[in-house]
Amino acid sequence: MTEACAVPAVDEVDYDVLVVGSGIGGMESALKLGDMGYRVLLVEKEASVGGRMILLSKVFPTLDCASCISTPKMASTIHHPNITALTYSRVDGIRRSADGRFHASVTRKARFVDEDTCTGCQKCETACTVAVPDQFNADLVARRAAHIAFPQAVPKKAVIDRAGSSPCSYACPAGIQAHGYMSLIRSGEYEKAHRLVLEATPLVGTLGRACYAPCEGECTRGSLEGTLPIRRLKRFISDVHDEGGEELGIEVAPPNGRRVAIVGSGPTGLTAAWQLARKGYAVRIHEAAPVPGGFLRLAIPSYRLPVETVERDIDNVRALGVEILTDAPVRDLAALRAEGFDAVLVATGTHRSTSLGVPGEDRLGVLGGTDFLRRVKLDQPVDLAGRRVVVVGGGNVAMDAARTARRLGAASVTVAYRRGRNEMPAHHVEADDAEREGVQFSLQVAPLEVLGDAQGAVSGLRCTRMRLGEPDATGRRRPEPIPGRETVIPCEVVIAAVGMTPEPGAFAGQLTATSLGILGADAVTRQTSLPYVFAAGDAVNGATDITRAVGEGRRAAHMIDRWLTGRTMDGFDDRLPVVDKHLVLARQQAYAFRSPAPDATTLVAAPADFTEVEAPMTETEARAAAGRCLDCAVCSECNECVAACPVDGCIDLHARDQHLEARVGAVVVSTGFKLFPADLKPEYGYGRYRNVITGMQMDRLLAPTRPFNTILRPGDGKVPERIAYVLCTGSRDETVGNPLCSRFCCMYSIKQNQLLMGALPLADITVHYMDIRAPGKRYDEFYEQAKAMGAAYVKGRVAGITETPAGDLVLRYEDIEHGGVIAETEYDLVVLAVGVQPNRDAEELFEVGELSLDEWNFVAEPEEDLNPGATSIPGVFVAGAASGAKDIADSIIHAGAAAAQVAAHLESAKAGLSEIAKVPA
Amino acid sequence: MTAHEAANARRIGVYVCHCGGNISDYVDVDKVIADIEDAGDVVVAKTAMFACSDATQQDMVADITAQQLDGLVVASCSPKLHTYTFRGVAARAGLNPYEYTQVNIREQCSWVHTDDQQGATDKATALVRAGISRTRLTTPLEPMVVETLPRTLVIGGGIAGLRAAIGLADIGLGVTLVERELELGGWVRRFGPMYPHGKDGRALIETLVAEVRRRPAITVLTGAEVVGKAGSFGNYRVTVRVGGEGAGTIEVAAGSIVAATGFDAYQPETGEFGYGIEGVVTLPEFKALVDEATAPLTHRGRPVRSVAYVYCVGSRNTGGCANAYCSRFCCAATVQTAVQVSGLDPSIRQFHLYRDMRTYGKFEPLYTEARKAGSVFVKFDNDAPPAVARRDGGGLTVTVRDLLTHNEELALPADLVVLVTGMVPRDNEALVGVLKLPAGSDGFFNEIHPKLRPVETVVDGVLIAGACQGPKTSAESVASGLAAVTQSAAILKKGFTELDPLVATADQGACTACGDCLTACPYDAISMTETGDRHFAVISPTGCKGCGGCVPMCPENAIDLLGYTDAQVTAMIESLVEVPA
Repeated sequence: MTEACAVPAVDEVDYDVLVVGSGIGGMESALKLGDMGYRVLLVEKEASVGGRMILLSKVFPTLDCASCISTPKMASTIHHPNITALTYSRVDGIRRSADGRFHASVTRKARFVDEDTCTGCQKCETACTVAVPDQFNADLVARRAAHIAFPQAVPKKAVIDRAGSSPCSYACPAGIQAHGYMSLIRSGEYEKAHRLVLEATPLVGTLGRACYAPCEGECTRGSLEGTLPIRRLKRFISDVHDEGGEELGIEVAPPNGRRVAIVGSGPTGLTAAWQLARKGYAVRIHEAAPVPGGFLRLAIPSYRLPVETVERDIDNVRALGVEILTDAPVRDLAALRAEGFDAVLVATGTHRSTSLGVPGEDRLGVLGGTDFLRRVKLDQPVDLAGRRVVVVGGGNVAMDAARTARRLGAASVTVAYRRGRNEMPAHHVEADDAEREGVQFSLQVAPLEVLGDAQGAVSGLRCTRMRLGEPDATGRRRPEPIPGRETVIPCEVVIAAVGMTPEPGAFAGQLTATSLGILGADAVTRQTSLPYVFAAGDAVNGATDITRAVGEGRRAAHMIDRWLTGRTMDGFDDRLPVVDKHLVLARQQAYAFRSPAPDATTLVAAPADFTEVEAPMTETEARAAAGRCLDCAVCSECNECVAACPVDGCIDLHARDQHLEARVGAVVVSTGFKLFPADLKPEYGYGRYRNVITGMQMDRLLAPTRPFNTILRPGDGKVPERIAYVLCTGSRDETVGNPLCSRFCCMYSIKQNQLLMGALPLADITVHYMDIRAPGKRYDEFYEQAKAMGAAYVKGRVAGITETPAGDLVLRYEDIEHGGVIAETEYDLVVLAVGVQPNRDAEELFEVGELSLDEWNFVAEPEEDLNPGATSIPGVFVAGAASGAKDIADSIIHAGAAAAQVAAHLESAKAGLSEIAKVPA
Repeated sequence: MTAHEAANARRIGVYVCHCGGNISDYVDVDKVIADIEDAGDVVVAKTAMFACSDATQQDMVADITAQQLDGLVVASCSPKLHTYTFRGVAARAGLNPYEYTQVNIREQCSWVHTDDQQGATDKATALVRAGISRTRLTTPLEPMVVETLPRTLVIGGGIAGLRAAIGLADIGLGVTLVERELELGGWVRRFGPMYPHGKDGRALIETLVAEVRRRPAITVLTGAEVVGKAGSFGNYRVTVRVGGEGAGTIEVAAGSIVAATGFDAYQPETGEFGYGIEGVVTLPEFKALVDEATAPLTHRGRPVRSVAYVYCVGSRNTGGCANAYCSRFCCAATVQTAVQVSGLDPSIRQFHLYRDMRTYGKFEPLYTEARKAGSVFVKFDNDAPPAVARRDGGGLTVTVRDLLTHNEELALPADLVVLVTGMVPRDNEALVGVLKLPAGSDGFFNEIHPKLRPVETVVDGVLIAGACQGPKTSAESVASGLAAVTQSAAILKKGFTELDPLVATADQGACTACGDCLTACPYDAISMTETGDRHFAVISPTGCKGCGGCVPMCPENAIDLLGYTDAQVTAMIESLVEVPA
């Protein structure tokens, strides 16, 4: 069984009616059906009930404040004894069953905030480090990832907007929240960023230098100007922390009385020790070498990873009370058990170099790659001065060996590799840097024999030329010798860096192992055949890299803890699915070009010492670099909200969607409408001209909860004095595929005209219209009132808009009522009166084709004349603008009609009538 | 000193609302709080961004519980908007809802004193003080629980009333359907194909009438008129005259009443756009002609080769004459009729003289279809209306300046001129008197709130549906009929209702039976009764609407209005005239 198989329990619930959508139509249907005594399940996809009306300024023609008359309805909806309102939830599908009732699958999307205990204090919102466009303010301003939808939200509960996992965080084998520390650095919270990395591993400075940064390969900015320097930013926060000398500041549980022994102090062992110590375990590490750190301390050259950095990171582990014994190899696991350790982790890595397997390998001057690096790191003499060195292999160890050899004064260093440069497993940066430091490459050669002189010392490497043949199992083309093409590379030293293995037979008789010494352990739990012994890292995987090794340490610690506390051994990887980068790019409204951070590596052709080659980032560079983050998953998992929340356990980023199955007698579809995307009329410049806004944006500018607390144009904050309206934007317009009138845009424009004339008495308002459609009770009077107040109405469709350098806008139009001249007039601000588009979500609630749509893709009402609200499916009704553009009053009436039809349907079903109680049309 | 200090100490919570900025942009709400928080008995004094928001409501519930408040004052908007909201808050917190006072500092302060923020703030403070004074003297009141009849009276047998009757019956309510005419069906019974789906009006009505007949729960009274109403919401007793003038009456008991009394067509004055001249007809007349016609179209035996439609006749009049409103249905009805005419004979020339073409929503394609079928549209300015005159040699000429062609003056020959007449409210004076229904300035019945409560009226349990509320299409009338069904069911399905206890009470001991109060009561809720030799007035708590009209009439001050007692009102006045320290 793998972790992913866990099936969440599905709740089943039973209601009379399911209402989908809680706009004005949905709320009205739900409330009235609830009043009649029916039990209503109301499902709303947003975090608050209320739909669009609550976002409006005032309503026509009464000029009632929309908030004031919406909030009571919203509160009644949520408090009604017969209504269960699920916000931030989604109806995945509705199936009609044989008895005429319906099964609905509902997903309660994870809010990551406990609705019961959230007090709506908004501390999480203040603490959140991610800002995204605020859809409830028509994208005029930003909101945080942790947010309450809007001030009058019902319920007033926070939600954390998570689109999934950010590609960088998802890609990290160590499980570090890369996006999280990017957003913290962007916010100037370097110490918090450091602590966030410490959540995963103590090796912050180490990874900040020596990680190969798979995160950067996934960075969405990489497809624009270039990736964020995520690794170097980690080094930056490590540097800041080291200079500041602050405490680690991480939480450590009190001792739990259990003891764990760890064999090996490489990245796996150190990380596991760190995690276990934080959980309250007493941990002792056994290291066979004279110094701790494993590969970090004994292999990675200091120009890449200074010894002091590793030692500081190891000090982090010691600071938690972990005991590290050096020169203390472990042979007998049972003895550790006998000594009182509750569990043992074997993380001994792969520190033996694989031999070349050619004659002459025993000659003086042939060194193993790791042995060579280890001797250098331990300051043991290796005299390469003036000698020619051949490094065999194409991996990172080969590059480390070659570059180290250059620093030791070798006359020449040649990397001999059997495939081509592009096939080398070494990180491309490593190979490039090696070349820049004067390392030569002899490609597509394989050693046949180490040649020697009479004294038995190396004199050269006899090789065969290779060519690339058919792809092998790994997909790489298999190198094969070219017969008769031999060459000799003269040299005095051969370094074999062709692979690494564990110590063979290390725990023979205790643990299972392959012939190469790879230990056997469960792929998920890392438990071995001895239940108290776990094995992780390269010892069970073969040679990988330090970041994977860190991840192994985290996994092992997690599993050991689960095992020792008697819990199921799962729950390690609970990443959300990675977000689709295309969606991330699609949701960006505009890019600011942001230059990638320049490379800070200084390389010389003949390096003479082990000084670190990469310079640290300055604070300015770091802030600018982190500021380029696109916040792919919205929430960065920086955990600031968790820390800020005053209620313990209220915010839980591990929360996941929940599913429930609802059995209902009838369904009301009140999924509303979509606003016409104004950028589909490119001649009006929406999205390009910042002072061209939509009617919805103007309503937000006028609303009591308005974003700028005044009316200004977004481009430069100027208070507009000349404001134009372009009616029928996207309506009555075959060129955008919508022949229909959207019904309420004339009226909301007239309303805004009146409000603007009240708020900006000096402003001139001009409305460019086709027909003023004010066909409702007191609507035409309202229009006359706006005219009397001074708004000008000009008949004629606007042909196009151009922007002046000052950000003003020139409208080109036909002035029909004044001689039909083609005129141009300049305005400060243009409002596009966008209309209605159908919300296609409605049809997806049902099986394909089951819910009929009309020819404009609104939900069809086949018997509108006598049965308004009835759809093509018996028992399914439509309320409000889902069936076509409606203003609020018409939506209320329509929802009332739908509710009457629902009640009649339920009553006839109750009476057991086979015939649906619907009036035939 | 004052009455309240003699009373037992109260624990009052006061909340002053920003209303986003509706209030706080002009009233310094923090200063209001600072000025009243030391007032006696005020235990909690807070501001709120939106007092009506769920979060603040929950905050209030928490305060009431934790601070054991026994009085609540919210200073926000009109009591019409939120009295019930905050009574609900009180009830949820276990506080008697009638210990709550709403103070209106929005409509009465911030919105009317935008030019005087200091004054608005001082006024708000005074009003809040008055609200606190009233609250000090509140007593717990319990609503009167009245059983409701599961039966609705529907007045009007047009399409809205018929559909409402069926809807009510299908939800399990009894229905009495009263129609003044001898035949059911109203206007739609007279129509042929109707927009937008081309359904035949007569057929629709036949379907509905058959469905009505099929339902035993519906009693139909035709040739009947409502002439009296007694009782109150939940238990109305309605007197219906059946069988015409002078015939008998019957009494119908109903929990609620749906008025679906429809509309009249605007009847032009003689001479209005040539009305009265041979060949000038109204839209309903023309519609009947077209519905009955088989090609070729004729009028009074003469072929019709050209038609000119003059829109907005009797609608959208500015300058104080009748009918300022738009009649909503007529633009689409006219283009639909024009399409029908083109269907009969595509060679008939049709001119549409309009002001704004209001084929809203999904009616727009009808307008397009009419243009495609050859109709010509001419836009005229309201200040230069078309003139209709008889033409020498027969036929008519319509003269108009066309805004669409650079104000060109056109003289259009027409065999028929159709005056596109709108809807006017039906003359229902007697019924209005009986039901006490309020009408708006346009003459149509007024709803409580045009946006959110479009079928309810200020009279509890009396609902309005269809075109009696305002011009509507047939389908819209049906929808509003069904919305009235929903509203009826929402209040009647429970089987009981709670009436506001804010009613007048008469002190029997002090009453001298002068009878002045009887004439003051518009609801006939006061009657004279006797015990032994004593006569005194008794006020029916279910009949009383709490208007307070009787209170000042009583020479003995024997009548008090619960919730607005003399003592409370006096205390409020004292607070208002008190000079702030």
